[in-house]
Amino acid sequence: MNFQETRNNFRKKQVSAKELTEESLKKAKEKSELNAFISHFEDYALARASNIDANFDEFKDKSLGGIPIAHKDIFCTDGKKTTCASKMLENFIPPYESTVTKNCNDAGSIMIGKTNMDEFAMGSSNETSFFGPVKNPWGQSLVPGGSSGGSAACVAADITTISTGTDTGGSIRQPAALCGITGLKPTYGLVSRWGMIAFCSSMDQAGPLARDAFACSALLNAMASYDEKDSTCSKRESIDYEKGLNKDFGKLKIGILKGIENLGISEEVLNAYESSKKILEQLGHSFVELDFTELSSGICSYYVIAPAECSSNLSRFDGVKYGHRSEAKNISELYLKTRAEGFGDEVQKRILIGSYVLSAGFYDAYYRKAQKIRRMIKSKFDEFFKDVDLVFLPTTLDQAFEMNRKSTDPNRMYKEDLLTIPANLAGLPAMSLPNGFSKNLPIGAQFVGNYFSEELLLNTAHKMQEVTDWHKMTP
Amino acid sequence: MNKIELKNLLFLARLQVKEEDQDKTIEKLQNTFEMIDQMNDLDLDKFEPLNNPLELTNVSRSDEEKNRNKKEEFLKKSPKSDEDYFVVPKIVE
Amino acid sequence: MAQNDTLVNGWQPVIGLEIHVQLQTNTKLFSPAKNQFGEEANTLVDLIDMGLPGVLPVLNDGAVKQGIAFGLATNAEIAKTMVFDRKNYFYPDLPKGYQITQLHYPIVKNGVVDVEGKQVRIHQAHLEEDAGKSMHDVYDSESVVDLNRSGVPLLEIVSEPDIRSAEEAVKYLKKIHQIITYLDISDGDMSQGSMRCDANVSIMRPDDKEFGIRAEIKNINSFRFVEKAINFEIKRQIKVLESGEKVEQETRLYDSVKDETRSMRTKEFANDYRYFPCPDLVPHEISEDLIKEVKDNLSELPEEKQKRLMEIHSLNEYDAGVLCADKSTADFFEEVAKEANAELAAKWIIGDLNALLNKNDVSLKESKVKASNFSKLIQNISDNTISGKIAKDVLDEVWQSGEDVAKIIEGQGMQQISDEGELEKIIDKILADNISQVEAYKSGKDKLFGFFVGQVMKATEGKANPGLVNKLLQQKLG
Repeated sequence: MNFQETRNNFRKKQVSAKELTEESLKKAKEKSELNAFISHFEDYALARASNIDANFDEFKDKSLGGIPIAHKDIFCTDGKKTTCASKMLENFIPPYESTVTKNCNDAGSIMIGKTNMDEFAMGSSNETSFFGPVKNPWGQSLVPGGSSGGSAACVAADITTISTGTDTGGSIRQPAALCGITGLKPTYGLVSRWGMIAFCSSMDQAGPLARDAFACSALLNAMASYDEKDSTCSKRESIDYEKGLNKDFGKLKIGILKGIENLGISEEVLNAYESSKKILEQLGHSFVELDFTELSSGICSYYVIAPAECSSNLSRFDGVKYGHRSEAKNISELYLKTRAEGFGDEVQKRILIGSYVLSAGFYDAYYRKAQKIRRMIKSKFDEFFKDVDLVFLPTTLDQAFEMNRKSTDPNRMYKEDLLTIPANLAGLPAMSLPNGFSKNLPIGAQFVGNYFSEELLLNTAHKMQEVTDWHKMTP
Repeated sequence: MNKIELKNLLFLARLQVKEEDQDKTIEKLQNTFEMIDQMNDLDLDKFEPLNNPLELTNVSRSDEEKNRNKKEEFLKKSPKSDEDYFVVPKIVE
Repeated sequence: MAQNDTLVNGWQPVIGLEIHVQLQTNTKLFSPAKNQFGEEANTLVDLIDMGLPGVLPVLNDGAVKQGIAFGLATNAEIAKTMVFDRKNYFYPDLPKGYQITQLHYPIVKNGVVDVEGKQVRIHQAHLEEDAGKSMHDVYDSESVVDLNRSGVPLLEIVSEPDIRSAEEAVKYLKKIHQIITYLDISDGDMSQGSMRCDANVSIMRPDDKEFGIRAEIKNINSFRFVEKAINFEIKRQIKVLESGEKVEQETRLYDSVKDETRSMRTKEFANDYRYFPCPDLVPHEISEDLIKEVKDNLSELPEEKQKRLMEIHSLNEYDAGVLCADKSTADFFEEVAKEANAELAAKWIIGDLNALLNKNDVSLKESKVKASNFSKLIQNISDNTISGKIAKDVLDEVWQSGEDVAKIIEGQGMQQISDEGELEKIIDKILADNISQVEAYKSGKDKLFGFFVGQVMKATEGKANPGLVNKLLQQKLG
């Protein structure tokens, strides 16, 4: 099922929103063993689909008119359970709607459910969810990547054509790569964070996941909007990304990393990367080698800043106003028990790291230093973009891995984010697309663009997808 | 990190780890810090800390009221409340 | 004030105050919920004030302007760029588990206020959000939380340790109260918690080079208690040091019932607030234009008002100063003086009205005496409708009931008798009844004049116009 065809069929009244929704709900049920969803909203989705069909004229030209969508369970949905895959919010029903889900509704999409994820978006394998791991549609013993693993699996398994995710250190791009689909992390501040449960506020950014760049552009059109409720949201004129796909940006100068073979990237991933470079060359683009020895320091910086912010962001989960509360004799015990029971191991570990690096005497040695690395990496990219239009590099070090494999070696797991983290630290947009296969498993590569260059990213990916078929492969 | 430091840290973060699991927790944390500590080798003097990637400034709103209060619904979200308040175990000053 | 005046048993107290002032904005610091005291519990709570997952703060520019106004009024530096930080700690009335405040880049720095000729420096004043309120007396074994106050904008004004006695601390606090109420950025009501004070107190020998170890006293919620709490603490520290022990750096709570400070039970582990820049907010630059805008709209400050009252109403410096000590009094005076004689109004406000306020320990706002009514009282005095003596009775009545002055005067027949014919009749009768005194007066006993005046007043229940009585008596007694 392809987004563009589906939407055309809906627009030509060859298929109704109700039929599309029934189809998605059916597939979700058939593929329930993937554990891609935390909540399904069947009655709601069908009622909404009927409503859209009844008001066809109002919805037919909207960018997501009549299209079923799955939202990562990190976006608050008014009156509908939002768990962030945590026991802490197992039964939490928000009294308000996130800007992302509201925008998607306004664009005519039909939410069929909320997708599984790593608890509070902390993880790269979707194994930290309180609701159990998501399985990779390409191999049930494999992880789908994380933290937007449910959203990636949902699209890869053709349950919906589009889904939303969030990317703090690679959480859209890495699962997109491991599941063989396309995913875009926009520039920090392009998409509102209002109603998106915060992990690391200065890096969290919502973005689209879909089979191809076309669908991503349609979904980004819906998601991106200036929002006065988010002080870090950028006020700028909106761009029609779908239209941008037809633009001609000419021959691009694309940056590639010097010494990339020394970063511990698997042979399969490197091979796919090399063949993608050939395709880019055939499309008329040229390469510039970049010296980016600072790349690996990004991980250190990320694993200080993200835990620091998360330790503070997650303080609100104390059992007083909402969410889980443990039985306790006094207030002190209430906090300790509620939080020890309500949070999973990985979340607790990161809260501890974050509390440590912010505590008296350690702030300068850790937090401040990490923020300096962040500046260094941003400056490096600023320098790059004086010479090149985009930077091209693999998305992950390896393909989808077996469950439980890396969770036994957490640092190995953290290093999984080596290639995705720099874009988050700098706040730059980056987009992963499928670029090869090996052992019947997909491989992804990503473009990193300058600030607010989403149009160029989508256009470049789209042009590549016009001459390749990787994004059409299904499990 | 020793057990006393861990206990301090746990209290600061309002978390609990069973006595018998504390060594394991310390090991896990130390393992992560080994990775993080690699940044000590870098010369970062010339870089100013970067807090927020876009470095925007001056976002504010005018002082106008908007009522989004839903008292009853808000209180119902709480694990324990009465008709007026959120209720918690006794706070001892 | 000479330093040795402030020594206590040879020890020099050193005091700094941290004053929290609730700003009078329409809405909260980071949410659009109404900022109002005394509403039904949990009805002024926005999604943001409840700290729901996914909500984000947006700065209220009204609070920024009020902060700038305070900076201007205290000759302080206004920050070119201010930054908000998170202060992390757990408490049930702190919904997010952190307070958004300003640590390194406060809105105001290095101000100074004049406290009866002494300069007290303000280290900084910063914007931060208030917490909710927890109450412990609703249930036996549980506490309850009201989040109406959660997110209310506070300006925390931190002085340098320039204060040397409890008395001086109160004067400084009153000065700050005067400034914020004049600026109309807070009602400064300590009983409602819109102005709260913590005191850092230490003692040293006059020739010591370094300050002693200080204790922070929290929870002082009236001017009177500030003085008592600090004095208690000074004595306590003297006792501790003179017995050869050390003062501990700690937080102490003032108990107004027992009139003592006591150590807040040392927490199991010391608090570590883990401050860091709030990633949900961006730095805020304060432009010269904005400062100018605030300056142009700045309310009149006490010194300016005093000068103006002296010019317009020809008040003397002392009277104008007394009236302007408290903004509500000065405003009251101006309202009264719109219609009534200003000098007489000033005399009555400073004299009788102030006496009533002090005696009953209520503020002008709380009392039943309204400016328009008080103005009528003064007018009735100056047009001789009532005498000054009667006026005191009328004021007492107004104080009790708030009743309209005209009605009181009419209802009780208190109008002054200024009708010559009527008075003449009364005087003639008195002279006829007291022939021997008349004789004595005429033979040179001048002092008896007062006796006749007294008799007239007695006969008229004090309502006779004294000037007229004098005139008529003089005529008749030759």
